[in-house]
Amino acid sequence: MSPVESSKSAARADLDSVWVVIPLFNEAEVIAKVVSEVRTAFRNVVCVDDGSTDSSAALAQQAGATVLQHPMNLGQGASLQTGFEYVVSQTEASHVVTFDADGQHRVKDAVEMAELALRKRISVIYGSRFLDKRTKPGLKKRVVLQVAALMTRVFTGLRLTDAHNGLRVLSREALGKVRLEQNGMSHASEIVHQLAKSRLSWKEYPVEVLYTDYSKKKGQSLLNSINILIDLIVR
Amino acid sequence: MLSQWILVASFIFVGFYLLKARRGANQQAIRRLFIVIALVVGFLAVLFPRYTNVLAGLVGVGRGADLLLYMFVVFGLFYAVYQYRRQLWQEKVNTDLARALTLTQAKLDQALGESKKG
Repeated sequence: MSPVESSKSAARADLDSVWVVIPLFNEAEVIAKVVSEVRTAFRNVVCVDDGSTDSSAALAQQAGATVLQHPMNLGQGASLQTGFEYVVSQTEASHVVTFDADGQHRVKDAVEMAELALRKRISVIYGSRFLDKRTKPGLKKRVVLQVAALMTRVFTGLRLTDAHNGLRVLSREALGKVRLEQNGMSHASEIVHQLAKSRLSWKEYPVEVLYTDYSKKKGQSLLNSINILIDLIVR
Repeated sequence: MLSQWILVASFIFVGFYLLKARRGANQQAIRRLFIVIALVVGFLAVLFPRYTNVLAGLVGVGRGADLLLYMFVVFGLFYAVYQYRRQLWQEKVNTDLARALTLTQAKLDQALGESKKG
């Protein structure tokens, strides 16, 4: 085996200690493809099916994911928390990658982030679409996300450029500091809030978000940032 | 005017309750106290309607009917806020329950899978 190959397979072995958590709600159109792609790099994938009414759960399972099923729809934050608790209580994972089910993240970015976390022993890595020019969100989306990032900055003191990116890497230690109580979309700010308090090492990593017609349908509105703000204040 | 101070203080109290109330014996005591006071005041207002005018005069509100309206608004707001908090708490309980069920199911599936293999 050449040195390059052996270092590659060593990296692959490390990635076996990483679990990918995918919150899943009615994504039957794309979930099989997303899980298969993630599984080309990561052996361990857990989908938390949040009461989907389509065949998402079965498709994810066929594609090789472990599927946990909420008995009813609770929200994306609740799904992530369930995934985290599963990983901590029932696996030996060293790290978790959070990954969106709608196919807007690239597996390559997730691999690079996970390898960076393993190599440099960084506890938390946040994906950001605003660190380079690859991602082209529309003007409206850009405004929504910048407002969210600004709010996160005010509340946590963390200078993040992209507060609502579903692609993150968390070490097992970091998972111990997270307890998401915001079941809906406000969890993205809440997770940053809790991790900022823990004072663990963190980094932002440039990622590309792929805006397909499919993922565009599921974007957030500007008014929803008011909901997020209120969720964070009234708990 | 005295009534303005009382009303402002009431709204601040309701706002504080919205942000800070935690479930506990003290909170329950406050709520029960509110209900008892509301009952007694309502009772007296029905029996002695004239005195609502007197009381209104004392705190600087024009008529007794206005005083009752203000009190109704404060109590109504407090009730809405209380129900909102209760709903948040209920959601949290539901979530914890659903999550426990999900994780138990996962353990069960895994155990069954292993016993099939073995």
